[in-house]
Amino acid sequence: MAVLNWKHHTLIQALMTRGPLKENEFHKIFAAVTGKNPRSHERDFNDFLLKINKELSYVQMELRRCRNQNDGQVCYGLVNNVSDEQSKFGTKYSVPQITFYKGVIEAIMQDATAQGSISTIDALNIRLENQVHRGMGSQSQGGLSQVPPALRNFSMSQKEKTLDELVHDQWLCHTPDGDIGLGVKSYLDLRSWFHNSGIPTCEVCNEAAIKAKVCQNEGCMLRIHHYCLKKKLSQSRGKIVCPTCGVQWEFQIPKPEAIEVEDELNEPTVSQPPAGSKRRKLKANRNADADIGACGSSQVSSATNLKRVTRSYTRMT
Amino acid sequence: MANSSQDFSQLNISEEEKDKLVAEVIRYVLFKTHQNSGCPIKRDELTQIVTKNYHQRLLPALVINEAIAKLSSIFGFEMRELQRSRPSSTNQQSVADAKSYVLISQLPADVYRKYIDDVNTAHLTGFTFVVISIVHLAGGKIPEEHLWHHLRRMGLHETDESHPVLGNIKQALETLVQQRYLQKDKVNGPEGNTLVYELAERALDGPVCDSIKEYISQIVKKEVASVEID
Repeated sequence: MAVLNWKHHTLIQALMTRGPLKENEFHKIFAAVTGKNPRSHERDFNDFLLKINKELSYVQMELRRCRNQNDGQVCYGLVNNVSDEQSKFGTKYSVPQITFYKGVIEAIMQDATAQGSISTIDALNIRLENQVHRGMGSQSQGGLSQVPPALRNFSMSQKEKTLDELVHDQWLCHTPDGDIGLGVKSYLDLRSWFHNSGIPTCEVCNEAAIKAKVCQNEGCMLRIHHYCLKKKLSQSRGKIVCPTCGVQWEFQIPKPEAIEVEDELNEPTVSQPPAGSKRRKLKANRNADADIGACGSSQVSSATNLKRVTRSYTRMT
Repeated sequence: MANSSQDFSQLNISEEEKDKLVAEVIRYVLFKTHQNSGCPIKRDELTQIVTKNYHQRLLPALVINEAIAKLSSIFGFEMRELQRSRPSSTNQQSVADAKSYVLISQLPADVYRKYIDDVNTAHLTGFTFVVISIVHLAGGKIPEEHLWHHLRRMGLHETDESHPVLGNIKQALETLVQQRYLQKDKVNGPEGNTLVYELAERALDGPVCDSIKEYISQIVKKEVASVEID
């Protein structure tokens, strides 16, 4: 008695053939085959996925959902849960290429500033021998002599080519500033591995925070994903206090009123954001038919206001 | 269902062990298909998964049959058996010809086209269709130079290694041979050895063959000046 029908098969095969799909695309297919909008029929949608996963567990696979930490987009993909003899056939990459990929991931994960990416130069300079030593751990004895020649001789051009392939296959990605970041496939496939790897998890969603904002207090380990932070900010009206160390986070909020909040003086001149226009205002005051005395004093106080505004500005950036 | 469980229990193997074997076979088929871009998988490779640890004679067949059933019920894939229907002249074996399998989606064509078809591989499907059609219209067999003659008319050259869409054209053609859409044979002719391309199992497979004939007739009906295949 078949448990899954062609509608389930459509979603499974779409993920298998096209790779990970963004949430709206996945929802579109679901809506098209079932006639139900996943957002208004959340329970039906979840039951649908649960049914699929129950069957997929027979072959140790899973239909998984995750966030692409580069842009916060939710993605769905079919992942393999067990590394066994059969899954070793599932890759087109050679051993040195996989070793290189692992090296790139580790370098990205070890970044204390949680950028979620490394420069292309750093990626190309990753030495595969170091990966072997880490893998062998306490068993390594002979040092470099234990490293297979294929790993030792993995050339720069081979690394470049591998990077391109990995980006094309979505294991890695190019960030807008030309760095190498983790691709959506890595976020999907390695989700539990990241979670257990010791990287600090996001305060809000509890997933490994690989690309995230780190607490501005240098000693504090707290991390929040940028997209989780946005949600929190909208709820807390722009103020965040670190739950771990209690330091209040400063933010560059693009509203002039914010400057009033930061600045102690309540002079009306403070409400002008850029310092440049203040100078222009001063000149205008001088030319205006105002008290010379008042002008003079306002000049001095305006100058100090200028300093205050600039100071509060630097605090925010 | 009751029958198969009886068979399995007769073979002295537990339900868990049987499930594990079936899962291994399914996983092998899925991963291998991904790795070799849809080239057929030999039945021997699958029986080996079972015989590695279990020596009951009838077990491999039962496991493979259940794997076929599960691939259909869980994923909607048909694991179709391909038989070499035209023995190539270079191949001396006949019955010993390995059975092989390919995965084919069981979804209706319009659903497949709309949601599953990967637009990024459309160029490969197009190339496959064109080459098979040419060979088909030539009667199922075509000498190598004739095939390249027709491909050249479309701007695909034998020596082209960096075609903007297909890359290495020769390699693209070779992939069709590996995927068993075509087979290559050496024919002894008066001028010496010539290489001949023939339609192979996957192109001769019933449903595929029928669709190709239909598409060709659609194209030919639209074309006022028909192209001559020499």
